[in-house]
Amino acid sequence: MSQSSGGNNLESLIATIAEVEAKALNQVSNAGALDALDAVRIDILGKKGRLSEVLRALGSVSAEDRPKIGARANVCKAKVEEALEARKSQLESQLLEEKLRTEKIDFTLPSRRLHTGSLHVITQTTREIVRVFSRLGFDVTTGPEADTEFYNFEAVNMPEDHPARDMQDTFFLGPGVVLRTHTSSVQMRAMQEKGWPLRVLCPGAVFRSDWDATHTPMFHQIEGVWIDKGVRMSDLKGVLSFFAKEMFGSKAEIRLRPSYFPFVEPGCEVDVRWKSGWLEILGAGMMHPKLFELAGFQQKGGHAPTGFAFGMGIERIAMLLHDISDLRLLYRNDLRFLKQFE
Amino acid sequence: MIVSYRWLSEFVDLKGVTPEQVADALTFRGLEVETIEKQDRGFEQVVTARILERNQHPQADRLSLCKVTTGSATLDIVCGAQNMKAGDIVALAQIGALLPNGLKIEKSKIRGVESFGMLCSEEELKLKDESDGILILPSNTELGRPLADVLGRNDTLFHLKLTANRGDCLSVRGIAREVASHFKKPLCVPQATLLTDKAMPIKIELEAGEAAPQFYGALIEGVKIGPSPDWLKKKLESIGSRSINNVVDVTNLLLFERGHPVHAYDAEQIRGGKIGVRISKKGETLPLLDGSAVECTGEELVIFDGERSVGLAGVMGGGNSEVTDKTTRILLEVAEFKPSLIRKTASRFSKKTDASHRFERGVDPEGVHDVISRLADLVCQVSGGKVVGFQKAFLPSRDPKKFTRPEIRVEANYFSSFLGATFTDAEIDSALRSIECQVKREGSQLVVVPPSYRLDLRIREDLTEEVARIIGYDRIPETIPSLSGAPEPERADPAYSRRKKIEQAKDVLVARGFSETVNFAFTSAKWLSEFGLSSAVKIINPLSEEIEYMAPSLLPGLIRNAIENANHHFGSDILSQRLFELRPVYALSAEKVGATSRSETGVKETDTLAFVMCGERLAEGLKTEQSEVDFYDFKGVVLDLLTSLGVKGARLSALSDDAKHLGSRSTLFHSGRAASLRVGSQVAGAFGLIHPKLERALKLRAPLYIAEFDFSVLASLSREAGAFKKFSALSEFPPMERDFALLVSQETTSDRVIAVVNKVGKPLVQSSRIFDVYQGAQVGEGKKSIAVRVVFQAADRSLAEAEVEAMSQKLSEAFKKELQASIR
Repeated sequence: MSQSSGGNNLESLIATIAEVEAKALNQVSNAGALDALDAVRIDILGKKGRLSEVLRALGSVSAEDRPKIGARANVCKAKVEEALEARKSQLESQLLEEKLRTEKIDFTLPSRRLHTGSLHVITQTTREIVRVFSRLGFDVTTGPEADTEFYNFEAVNMPEDHPARDMQDTFFLGPGVVLRTHTSSVQMRAMQEKGWPLRVLCPGAVFRSDWDATHTPMFHQIEGVWIDKGVRMSDLKGVLSFFAKEMFGSKAEIRLRPSYFPFVEPGCEVDVRWKSGWLEILGAGMMHPKLFELAGFQQKGGHAPTGFAFGMGIERIAMLLHDISDLRLLYRNDLRFLKQFE
Repeated sequence: MIVSYRWLSEFVDLKGVTPEQVADALTFRGLEVETIEKQDRGFEQVVTARILERNQHPQADRLSLCKVTTGSATLDIVCGAQNMKAGDIVALAQIGALLPNGLKIEKSKIRGVESFGMLCSEEELKLKDESDGILILPSNTELGRPLADVLGRNDTLFHLKLTANRGDCLSVRGIAREVASHFKKPLCVPQATLLTDKAMPIKIELEAGEAAPQFYGALIEGVKIGPSPDWLKKKLESIGSRSINNVVDVTNLLLFERGHPVHAYDAEQIRGGKIGVRISKKGETLPLLDGSAVECTGEELVIFDGERSVGLAGVMGGGNSEVTDKTTRILLEVAEFKPSLIRKTASRFSKKTDASHRFERGVDPEGVHDVISRLADLVCQVSGGKVVGFQKAFLPSRDPKKFTRPEIRVEANYFSSFLGATFTDAEIDSALRSIECQVKREGSQLVVVPPSYRLDLRIREDLTEEVARIIGYDRIPETIPSLSGAPEPERADPAYSRRKKIEQAKDVLVARGFSETVNFAFTSAKWLSEFGLSSAVKIINPLSEEIEYMAPSLLPGLIRNAIENANHHFGSDILSQRLFELRPVYALSAEKVGATSRSETGVKETDTLAFVMCGERLAEGLKTEQSEVDFYDFKGVVLDLLTSLGVKGARLSALSDDAKHLGSRSTLFHSGRAASLRVGSQVAGAFGLIHPKLERALKLRAPLYIAEFDFSVLASLSREAGAFKKFSALSEFPPMERDFALLVSQETTSDRVIAVVNKVGKPLVQSSRIFDVYQGAQVGEGKKSIAVRVVFQAADRSLAEAEVEAMSQKLSEAFKKELQASIR
């Protein structure tokens, strides 16, 4: 073989590689899909691809020229691979964009929501009241709804034929058995059970024979009792003022008006100043010594117990807090009402 | 009680004190004024006027054009009435008046003629319900005067809500005492000269002991019964009491003025020359003033004469001795009766009267002589009679020479320390003296003697209230008491546990989309019978049949809520409902209801949880994605509840197996689509689809799933309230899964498959679950295929393939043997 022919072979091979390269790059940029791109890769760079085909003619090139061809072929391979990669990622991102475009949904269509439930406002209000008094160390206890006349009346200093029994029209279930007319019936049970000092709340349903626009024959009350040594009426005022601020806002004020409940002395009604005026929210007073006597309370360390009690209607508080105008709604169990308090 | 401002001002000089100030003072002294009624409300701009001319309205036949004068002004008024003429004195509503019927008077043009006011009818002034034409006043009426003055409608009425302890305030005098004390003004109550003993042809006898300790009688002759004088009529009418005749009106006046009920008998009807008070004889009947008659029980006080009973003491006079138009001799009674007896009698016969109301709160034991003297004086004044006899009958306890009043001794600093306030000695003394207490200081002690009419002042706490209310509750500061000792640990308290578990159960149901209801604890027999239920606990004195029986189950109430909600619901969708309630239901705990001790009632209250569900699975979603809830959705709720409460030993069984325990409640359910829940050895309740028979009878619009559990049973076997959940170690080693497909008889319940896995698979089986059930042609008649996935895992090592294989073999064998299954 002659030098020149060797030189010719070298040049022509390099030219061919350049041609393959140019064509390949063209094909890559024209490939419109990933599979077409793959076909280009096989066609050019595969074992039987065009670059391999060109290199098969390597035998006709002199040994000293071969590295030149090889180097050129590597450049070609690298360029094509780079182009393939670039095109591939371009196509992939096009595909992704296409996917995003076609998979678009109407996000304003209805969701698949689960049902949501609600506690009755009476329960919510009770829990809130309990929470507030718990901060001051009150426990919670309960008692039976059907109770003896003893616990409902005698034990709260309303002996038989006491005119104060008129205040509460009572449902009777049997001789000496009533549906409790107030949660005060739980006071004495708690006192007998736990002794003193005592800080206890008694929430629950109570019953009175009265049914009109502003009364239901069943309603709910919460009773609170604080008995300790040296408890004063100013403590009653402080505790209820704290309660009023927690429930009705930090600006709420209370005022006491003298009133009468047989189980307290002095007794009072408590009004809270809220929004535009004074609203009556509960009854309270210093516990009547008769109750300590009935509970069998003894002096401790030379101190006699004193204490205060208060009771409030839960419906009344709930109605004030939630702007509910009609008491009867609380017992109608209309879902349209219940679901407003979810 | 109603008290009039004008009447009050006869007893206390109220110059410069407005009715509002009086009302405020009373309210803040504990005598709550509920409303202040101004009689002249709506009359403010209405004055008297004379019609000068009446002419035809130029544009309208039926209208007149009147020229009227108020004395100081002359006005043109268009009027539609026909009953007036020139010279008449009429009521003129001037521009700006807002009449009692809500009509606002403005300057107006009526058919082209200007009118400067309106001539009023009695109807427009709400003096009458209906009236014909305008009000024509007497011709001597002064012009330009406020109509309210002319009609005497210028008083202010206080509607008081008095507490049961203040019997002494059930009168004008009682209220006046408080007003006088508050405004520091003298009290001037009209007094008559005290009657002195005069021979009585009718002897008074006390035969009831301390139940009727005094009875003063006066005999008046020469009485002429007739209408009352105007001042008396007006006084009674001002507080809403009807005038009857002069003598009866005086007795009523005394009741309202002094608060001590009194009675007048026709003395001619008092037979046998005596009158007295005794305990009734059982079975005796007594005709009463109101035309009714009562049969005595032997436990009430009656007034008797020589032959019969003539009055139900303290409650109502007898119909056989009342004052009539022909009465000329009158016997007056002023007595004192035991409050509790009067109260019992009045309620026994449902005769709550003004008299019984006062007697049951107690009258002033020292006031009897004063009252009868005033009474006799007034009777003579209005009827022309003369007192011819007077006798005081009293027991030693009521001897006027020896009245004793309780003495209350109290440490002088007691009030301030008990109230947490700083009141000076002078303030305290003056407060107590202002309500007619006698106050003495003996060393460090205060000795207080309350006035005789204050029966409610007996112990130092009573005086504390007096001191506080008179000085003012607003003078007591706000303090926070100190805790002596730490609170009890809550978790040891059963009440805490009950409350916490109830809260927890409610919270789970709320999280599962349920809304809490609160129904009355009572219902009607009729509604219960719809469900085949009845209640053993009945209200003896129900308000109505609707709320007569204590509910033995919460489901009737909840189902009623569901029905009512469905009825309110408009539109073609089914209303999805999830409702629950948790409260006690009632049953007998003894043979019958009755207090057998201070705490035993014979009634058992059982905390009960019920819930109902119907409608769609999702609250929101497209139609194609929605489906109606079924038994398994409902079962999911039950299981969530049990899991959350940590109920141990809960399992389901067929309703029929527990029908005996469930009683009539089991018939509420569709027996094929319901299950009973057992907890430990007890049946807690049942849940499932409502019985188709009920569904039809109640016309339910959607299949309703219902559940009711004895919550105390669930609570008794649930995780301790407040207990901390214990951690169990996470396995480091990989689990392995095997699926089994069992071909079993259709009757085989899936829980039996799980039971076999749990029994045989120990200790390798970590969990297992049914993941498919197939019934149909491919498995053949009477068969079904159950697919179960079992997960194996050990806490201490990776399981070997062979180990799991061996266990799978063992399981397969057990399925074959115990369930007659073929493994597919």
